[in-house]
Amino acid sequence: MNGWMGKIVKIDLSRRTQETIVVGDVIRRQYLGGRGLGVKLYSDLCSSATDPLAEDNALIFMTGPLTGTMMTSGRYQIVSRSPLTATICDSSSGGSFGAALKAAGLDGLIIRGRSAKPAYLSIHEGAVEVRDASAFWGLDTQQTQKAIRAETSSQTSVACIGPAGENQVLFAAVMNDKDRAAGRGGMGAIMGSKNLKAIAAGGSQPVAVSDPAGYKDLAARVDRIVDKNPVTGKSLQVLGTSVLVNIINAHGMFPTENFRRGVFNDAEGISGEKIAETLLQRQSACYKCPIGCGRTTRTRDKNGEGPEYETVWAFGAHLGISNLSAIAEANYACNELGVDTITMGGTIGCAMELSETGAWKESLRWGDAGKLRDWVTDTAYRRGIGAELALGSKRLAAKYGRPELAMQVKGMEIPAYDPRGAQGMALSYATSNRGGCHMRAYMIAPEILGHPVFLDRFSSAGKAELVALFQDVSALVDSAVLCRFLQFALGISTFTEMLRVVTGLDFSDEELMKIGRRTYTLERLFNNRAGFGRGDDTLPPRFFNEEFQTGSSRHRLVRLEGMLDDYYAVRGWDLNGVPSPQTLADLGL
Amino acid sequence: MAGTITVKFYGLMRLRMRTAALEIPSDDLTIMELLRLAEEKSGQSFLDELLDSDHGLLTGTIILVNGENIRSRQGLQTRVHAGDSVCLFSPAAGG
Repeated sequence: MNGWMGKIVKIDLSRRTQETIVVGDVIRRQYLGGRGLGVKLYSDLCSSATDPLAEDNALIFMTGPLTGTMMTSGRYQIVSRSPLTATICDSSSGGSFGAALKAAGLDGLIIRGRSAKPAYLSIHEGAVEVRDASAFWGLDTQQTQKAIRAETSSQTSVACIGPAGENQVLFAAVMNDKDRAAGRGGMGAIMGSKNLKAIAAGGSQPVAVSDPAGYKDLAARVDRIVDKNPVTGKSLQVLGTSVLVNIINAHGMFPTENFRRGVFNDAEGISGEKIAETLLQRQSACYKCPIGCGRTTRTRDKNGEGPEYETVWAFGAHLGISNLSAIAEANYACNELGVDTITMGGTIGCAMELSETGAWKESLRWGDAGKLRDWVTDTAYRRGIGAELALGSKRLAAKYGRPELAMQVKGMEIPAYDPRGAQGMALSYATSNRGGCHMRAYMIAPEILGHPVFLDRFSSAGKAELVALFQDVSALVDSAVLCRFLQFALGISTFTEMLRVVTGLDFSDEELMKIGRRTYTLERLFNNRAGFGRGDDTLPPRFFNEEFQTGSSRHRLVRLEGMLDDYYAVRGWDLNGVPSPQTLADLGL
Repeated sequence: MAGTITVKFYGLMRLRMRTAALEIPSDDLTIMELLRLAEEKSGQSFLDELLDSDHGLLTGTIILVNGENIRSRQGLQTRVHAGDSVCLFSPAAGG
């Protein structure tokens, strides 16, 4: 078989049994791998009644047919039901773990049950072994990776949880290859609920390629395109993702103090340019990635990875903090403890506003950089106020009677682009299948950055079609599996070429877009069954009622309802956001 | 006496220019004229970071006049006036 390894192992940690799952040719072609195949397998195994942290929930690690081949193909996807949102959720991570899983002989891994005592999985040359992890329980993610590599092989790649995952913090991350994170949605909490500390993968199994000569030519061409592109070949390399700080701030949509303002006065002090001048040691790159958007940094006392754009915002402007070293050190803490930085910062911002309004008696003050690292640590260990921050913003704000102060969609905290500054991004957040996330349809590309074309950010015209299109392309790339940043340089036809030369299957652009649409719709079906409908495809009231008084997004509000009607029509869903029988039939669902 | 227009450099532009901003004396001119004056005043060329070989805006270039993208106005022919602030961003992205 070309592209795929042809083997997915299903393991039950309660019974200590395992079996090989064979995915038929039709299903493989309909869902590819990664997010698509993960969502398909999850939907077949679990129902909307499944408790995310219960023994019978399935946690799926999945690669795609391109994993371990082209540039940026070290990624993998984790699919399950999120304990934070209760939606179906996929969480993506870079590094090399995906490529290592395939080198170990597997396309993916389905994990159910709960180990009686801490365990980790060692996967090597097609065999999966459950090993005792009692000695590693309690270690942070860096210590864990080091210890497990010492016990297995220095060549293995390790995906693991830290204390936050062990303590089932609802937004615990899975960390791999030192500081790469499957951050969003609490996949780390699910690992913790299964007493699963880590997965170590390695081996020497090659990924077979259908057309080696075509592959070589295409890989060389892609190299040239990516190198020549000013974003992938230059900006992301030199300045990383935090180059966005000044751009988004200049557009008056850099969320400040829990989205109460769109301009952060000290944006310069936490910008990508400032990081390059001060903390940056070197850039870092994932498996076969020529871009290298990662930042290896050092403060006076510590060193580590990051902060990237979302994190510099979450611990910076969102909290009124302009101390770049404190932001970086909070980021290091999240990496070590295994915490999603966006939800962590989002929740602290919500807590600060709750505190300011008097709804919560705890004293959390805007701009208090000195306590940031402690708040992160306390959250990971669920102690002190951290026990409450570990709930995430939706539950925290509801508990103190001010649910409107949680800046979230479906329970997931909204990231670093205020939707009042970009109508398409507002629709993207509202209709995201996993909640407040920028990665389902990155409308900032056309509405702010001018990729691939420039659109009027304040207009809602035509945004529904584009949001649906971007959601489908993103689902496709997540199923292939490649890095989304390639989309700044490559169009759909290049992804089609990649899949053709690797798998030997005669994919067309249309067929691949349909894979993306099928995946998105299947996710939606799961969410519908779990009770999500039109009423959940919305945003916090702040975005409909409160205007900024300064900045270039002042006096703007989100106009969602019309776009939502258009979006459902484009999708072939009814007015409550439920796919029609005809839509399902068209997609083979 | 002429007023001034502020030109601010961000991202890769700033690294190249080694300055965050320039003041260009003028009351009224187009963005294209402003960019050429800024090159002249700084003694450094930077248009290749923003424009393609046909002197059109590169995909991804952002030029804001008082926070508004010139693509929503008259592009490089957009007129700017004394007291205006012009922000230059070469193509960039993140996520």
